[in-house]
This record gives sequence, structure tokens and C-alpha cells, in this order.
Amino acid sequence: MSSPRPKSPRTPVLPKKEDKGESFWDKIGTIGRKKGIKEVQEVQAEGKYAIDSPGSPNAPEIPPEEYSLLDNEERAIIEPRSLEDPRVKELIQVLIEWINDELAMQRIIVKDISEDLYDGQVLQKLLEKLAEKKLDVPEVTQSEEGQRQKLSVVLKEVNKALYGSPKPVQKWSVDSVHSKNIVSILHLLVALARQFRAPVRLPENVRVNVVVVKKDAPNQLSHRTYIEDITTTYDDLGMKGERDAFDALFDHAPDKLQVVKKSLVTFVNKHLNKVNLEVMDLDTQFHDGVHLCLLMGLLEGFFVPLYDFHLTPQDFDQKVHNVAFAFELMQDVGLAKPKARPEDIVNLDLKSTLRVLYNLFTKYKNMA
Amino acid sequence: MEDIFQWCREGNALQVRVWLDDTEHDMNQGDDHDFSPLHWACKEGHQKIVEMLIRRGARINVTNMGDDTPLHLAAAHGHRPIVQLLLQNRVDVNFTNAHGNSPLHYACFWGYSAIAEDLVLAGALVSLANRDGDTPLDKTRGQLIQRLHELAVQQGQEMKKIQFKDQSWLGTRTRSRDATLSRHKGININELALHTRIAVTPSGETWRGRWQKNDIVAKILAVRECSPRVQRDFNEEFPKLRIFSHPNILPVVGCCISPPSLVVICQYMSWGSLYSLLHGGAGGRVVVDAAAAVRLAHDVARGMAYLHSLQKDKDHQLPQYHLNSRHIMIDEDLTARINMADSKFSFQEKGRMYAPAWMAPEALQRPPARRNWEACHMWSFAVLLWELATREVPTKEASTVTCINIQGRLLRNGSNDFDEIWYVGIFGDDQTTSLVLSLGKPLIIKLQPEQSSVAQVPFADLSPMECGMKIALEGLRISIPPGVSPHISKLIKICMNEDIGKRPSFNMILPILEKMKK
Repeated sequence: MSSPRPKSPRTPVLPKKEDKGESFWDKIGTIGRKKGIKEVQEVQAEGKYAIDSPGSPNAPEIPPEEYSLLDNEERAIIEPRSLEDPRVKELIQVLIEWINDELAMQRIIVKDISEDLYDGQVLQKLLEKLAEKKLDVPEVTQSEEGQRQKLSVVLKEVNKALYGSPKPVQKWSVDSVHSKNIVSILHLLVALARQFRAPVRLPENVRVNVVVVKKDAPNQLSHRTYIEDITTTYDDLGMKGERDAFDALFDHAPDKLQVVKKSLVTFVNKHLNKVNLEVMDLDTQFHDGVHLCLLMGLLEGFFVPLYDFHLTPQDFDQKVHNVAFAFELMQDVGLAKPKARPEDIVNLDLKSTLRVLYNLFTKYKNMA
Repeated sequence: MEDIFQWCREGNALQVRVWLDDTEHDMNQGDDHDFSPLHWACKEGHQKIVEMLIRRGARINVTNMGDDTPLHLAAAHGHRPIVQLLLQNRVDVNFTNAHGNSPLHYACFWGYSAIAEDLVLAGALVSLANRDGDTPLDKTRGQLIQRLHELAVQQGQEMKKIQFKDQSWLGTRTRSRDATLSRHKGININELALHTRIAVTPSGETWRGRWQKNDIVAKILAVRECSPRVQRDFNEEFPKLRIFSHPNILPVVGCCISPPSLVVICQYMSWGSLYSLLHGGAGGRVVVDAAAAVRLAHDVARGMAYLHSLQKDKDHQLPQYHLNSRHIMIDEDLTARINMADSKFSFQEKGRMYAPAWMAPEALQRPPARRNWEACHMWSFAVLLWELATREVPTKEASTVTCINIQGRLLRNGSNDFDEIWYVGIFGDDQTTSLVLSLGKPLIIKLQPEQSSVAQVPFADLSPMECGMKIALEGLRISIPPGVSPHISKLIKICMNEDIGKRPSFNMILPILEKMKK
């Protein structure tokens, strides 16, 4: 059983070697052939660039001094140093991977979060995929006016999906997205990821420094810096939708939570002890799915072949595979399909983990 | 009509061979009067076809509606080479048909003196009376009477007339099989009259029922969702389980695909599985003697050898079959048969193994594509041998104590290379009841309650998950209890070699088992 969604290919990392010049093998070839190889490589690189580079109509980058600001107009720019922050980088990477996963079936690969999203094309596809509805916009637009037109429709839909009304919001606008304002784009993506329960773990409390430039009077600019929160602390990454006892438990009786955890730990250990395993911490010891698989075998009286899951998972995908496999086993033996997604469990979402374990507990608590 | 019976009558050896090569064809099926292909070939005297049928495992003591065996027909029609061939294959020479006639009656009546002499030399009784009270000697004339009388005396036969006894109620007859069994593979679910639910297991529900006047067992597979894809896989996989061409394989007769139900149908076996015979019957106290144990093991090994010979053919990749005692059925004549209906379809029980105790350690760790199937099965076979061996009566017990309260039943084995008589007895009072299986000689035994064998299911005290983990990762192995015969325990060790490459193949252990039988 593989993960339910085909994975998009990772952004290929160009081998560094090419930049450094000839390799050993280039040197031992004949001169003619060497030339041939070079030519082929050059053409390949050019073709690759032509394919990979964003087809931007206003490609030449406009240096900041070209910005013409009207009087009293403000413009917010992310401080370049913030982009070097590893946490911001991580957030961008997670978002890119999420978009690429979602859009893998459409053969869309995003490489740069601002360059590839500003024209609304990818945003449109993303929203169509997430909200499962078709937007009434032209497929491809080349002109800037067309792009803005499209972006405004897409953003209206986004706002509708997020807040229930197409009214413009403060954090993003057609102008800010189209001008590749990374702060706006990040806000937009984070909001979408949260709303549609993206199966990713966003780094928490990511902040960027934003420089706001204001033209006070002709030929006079003032600027100030402030810190903008892109993400905060989340405790609800797993579930959205109907609330259940666990939501109430988390919100109103955190002290009781410990009791619940303790009885669940006792329950799982009663069974896991049979195969010489012991769990101390529910929060972290179930996320890789290994214990879940073994537990299913112990509870239902079968052996789980060791080739069907990863006994020592190495990466995220293997963990997701394990949890997804455990979910399959649960459904095979007649348990309801867990509401959580495998990714939630792997992403250490405590509430989802507890829900899954509690389901097992309800069915099997009286088992010796 | 162009069918196998016609070809056997005509002696069309080529057509018969082509027909036999198809595993879906059942050579033990009978025609309208229960004549099997072997009956026809013997009646018409086609020696080549008789040889071929016997070699492929046709039942030699099979009967038609008049309870004639092929030997009756060969003797009555004067085919001496065939009579000799049948005699070499340990046919039952004194088998009587509906009239109480033995083959010797017919040879005498028709005056085939050479055949009559052959039969007497092979142990045919000259003083066995039929329903009308006539012995074979009464049926013949002239010099032959004198000659047969002399031979019989030389053989040490008692010349007193043996009165006719109707034994048909004993269930010693093995009729040829109803041909409808192998004729239809797609079965309408409405034609199944299911009446009793036998078992509910994780793989599905098992029911007893009747179909086309046959006792059948129907297994309704447990599938989470009967999607078109599952139906397609099922439809592709089940015909491969219709293996009618070997006596030690119990084929899937047919299947119903009527979503949401997928049903696998096979013949009903009154003895149940080897597991229930060994561990379930008579309150869990069954004993088998050494000969019976070896005989059952030999049956299984023959069936497995045949299965693996099919597997070598790339077009005949079978669904996964896990060898264990639950997946072996016991036929009415106590032949062990590998139950193809217990194979696992590709969509069935994914990621769940319910009987890891019988599985080789590597089978618990490696995906099916990376296993040596025969070596894995060989390991399972060793566990099976161990199961049989731990059921054995300690030999010294058997010889020293006497039986109490025997309610025995005799069974004659109908398969071709044995003509042993099974002694099946229920011994003891209510507290100490045991089912005793013995081959060849009556087993005399008294079981003390504390001696009555403990349920020797491998690793019965561990749950599947525990025992699987221990076998795969901690080197848990069965231990051979003292008292198991040294031959069997040696064979178990050979078959369970930790080095996969060093385990024998089923073809290699067949001669060993044959030797042990003697």
C-alpha cells in the first residue's frame, strides 16, 4: 500500500559538477568528442532553462528605485535577511511541497513561491483542487490585464472559501500578489493550508521583518520596520469540522487529558508488552505507525508480515505508509475509517492520535 | 459424443493424454452409470491408457453404480495384461460388487483360466460366496476347478465356504465422482442450498450445502468492498484452483460472483480438516499410529510436489497457498488432500497472517515475490510432521496394553498405491474417549486420562503476533519431544533447515516417506 497520492517529483537539484567545469571523463575523451559533449550539454541546459524558467511577461526585475510611489503611498517589502531565516525557508519549502503534491496529477511543479504564483494560474488550479470546484476563468492568460482579472476572481473565491464572503481582506490583494509580495503570498498559502487541512506540519511561530516604505512628500521617503507573524502556534492541525469529546477535553479540561492519556497508555502497554514493547509517551511514540501496526495484530489475533510495513521507518513517507497501512488494517477488521489522516498522526497531532487510540480502546478494552 | 469416456473406450491414447494434461479435468469422474475412465479402459482392454491413468493417480478401487471395480471389468473381459497391471498396483482382489461377485467369480464364469490363476496367486479367495451362495469354483467347469483348488491350498486358503455378508453399509465403497463437480466453474448462487454454517473465520463464513445433488462446502469470502477490480482479480485467479488432476489435491469446484458476495465452492469432506482431525475430534484426544502418520504425511508431500510441478509452469502461477493442518482436508477414505479453497486470493487478508506458527521465518519477513515458495512450504511441512508425530501413540504403550470398549469402524483405502485397511476406533468411556487411527493392523491401546495426548498445536500458548515476532526475530522454533521416532525427528530437522537453500524439495522427500511406510 502506497501513500494515497502520487508524489510529485522533487525539484531536481542540478548537479554542482557542471558549474565546476569538466569532469575526469571529459578530459580523456578525444577533442572532437569533447566539443560535441559540450555542445549537447549547452543545448540541454538552454532547453532546460527555457522549460523551467517562469514564463513571466514582465521578466526583467525592476530595481526598487524604479518603484514610483504616489504621495502618502506605502509599500511593504520583506527584509531580505528574513528570507535567509531557516524557519522561513522551511515554511516556504513545506508550502511548495504541499502545492506540488496537490497538483502532481496536473503536472504542475512550483519551484519559486513568488515567481510561480503571482499570475494566479497555479493559485486557480490549487483552489480548484482543494475546494473541488471549477472556477470560471480563462485557462491561460498572457496579458497583465488578463492576469489581474483572473487573480481577482481567484482571490474572491479564496476569500469566499476562507471567510464566507468575497470581500477583500487586508493580508492579501490582487496588487500585492501580482507584485510578488512574498508576505502576502505566504499569508494566503498558510490560510489555505490551514483551511483545507493540508497534510503537512507547518513550522510554528514563523516571523518575518517587514520594511514599510512611505512617501511622505515628493522626494522624501520614510521607512519603518515591524515584525509580522506568518504562522502561530497550532493545536488543531488534525481535525476540522464536527467537534467531539476530544475537542471539549482539550479546550475545557486539560487536567482530565492526563487521565485519558494514562488509561490509554495502560491499555496499549497491556498488549504491546506481549511483544516486549513499552510506550511511555503517547505524543511521540505512535507517530511512526509501527506501534499501531503491531497493536492491530495483537488485538485482532494475526501476525502482520514484516514486509508490509517499515519496522524502523527512516523518513516521512515510510511513516505515512505505516500509519496508512495500520488504518487499512483497522478498516479490514471492521473498525470505522479513522477521521484523521495518516499525515496528521505522523505530524504528531496529539488529538488525532488520541482519537485513533480511543477508538481501539472502546472496541478492545475488555480484551485480556 | 466426444468425451473422455468415448476416448477411453476407443483407445484414443493421444486424446486421453491431452485431456489429462489439463488440470481442470477430473480423471476420477464417472459417466451416467459412474463408470470412470479407468473402468472403460479396463473393460475395452487399452493397456496404454490404463497405465497412463494409474500413473496420474486414478483411483484403482473406484466403483460404478453396480459396485464393479476396474478389476471386475478387466477380469470379465479377459484382459490379462491389465489384470496383472492392476494387481501390481495393489488393487483389492476380493472386492465384491452389488451381486456379491468378486473379480474371480467373473474370470471363472467366463473361463479365463490364466487370469483366474493370477487372481488366486494374488490372494483372491476361491470360497467366497456371492449373494446366491455361489463361490467362484461353483461358476467354473472342468480342469480349472481342480487347478484353482490346488493353487488355493498352496496359498494356504481355508477351503470352507465364506458366507456372503453385505458390507455396503460399512462405507467401504469409493464411487467415481460425480462429473458435474468438474463441469461448471461459474455457479449461480441461487442453486446453492446452504443449510448449516460450519465456521466463521477472518477469511469468511463457511457453510455446508447441496448443489446438483452433491454435498458441498461454500466459503463466502470476507471482502471489505467487492469492487469491480476485486471481482476481476477473483475471476482471473479462481480457475487456477480447479485442480482435479491429482488425488491429493482438493480442487475448487466452482465459484459464484454475485456482488457483494464472492463464494468459493468445494466438495464436502466428512472428516473435516487435518487440524480438526488431530486437535478437534473426540474431545481433542486423537491418536494416530506411526504408519497412519507417515501415510498422511506422504499424501501431503505428494500433493505439494504436484503443486510445485505446476508452479514451474509460468502460466500457472497459483494464488498463495499456506501449508498448515487447517488447509489439509481428509477425504472419506482418509486420504489427505490439499485444499485449494484455502488459498489466499490476491485481495484477501492483505497484511494479516493468522497462522504464522507454520510459516518459515523468511516467509514472515520477505514479500511473496522474494520467497522460495517450495522451501517455505517445506518448513511448513516439517511443522505438520511434528504435529502428526506428537499425536502418535508411544510405541511401547501400544504393544502392552489392551483396549477397552472398542467401537471400531473399518475403512478401506481406495487410492492406488495402497491397499491398507484403516482401523478407526473410538475407545474408552466418556472421560477417556479417544479417536484412534491406525493403518494396516488393529491398534490396541488403552489411554490413561493423564496420558491422553496434550493438544499439540504448535505454539498454542502464543498469539499469532507474539509467535510471529518470536519466530521471525528471536529464533523461536518447535522442539521435538522425546518419544518421537528417530526417523521422523530426523526428517523434521532436514525439512526445517535454517539455510533455505539446503531444504529438500518435495520430490526428494517422497522416497524417504515411502521407505518409512515399509
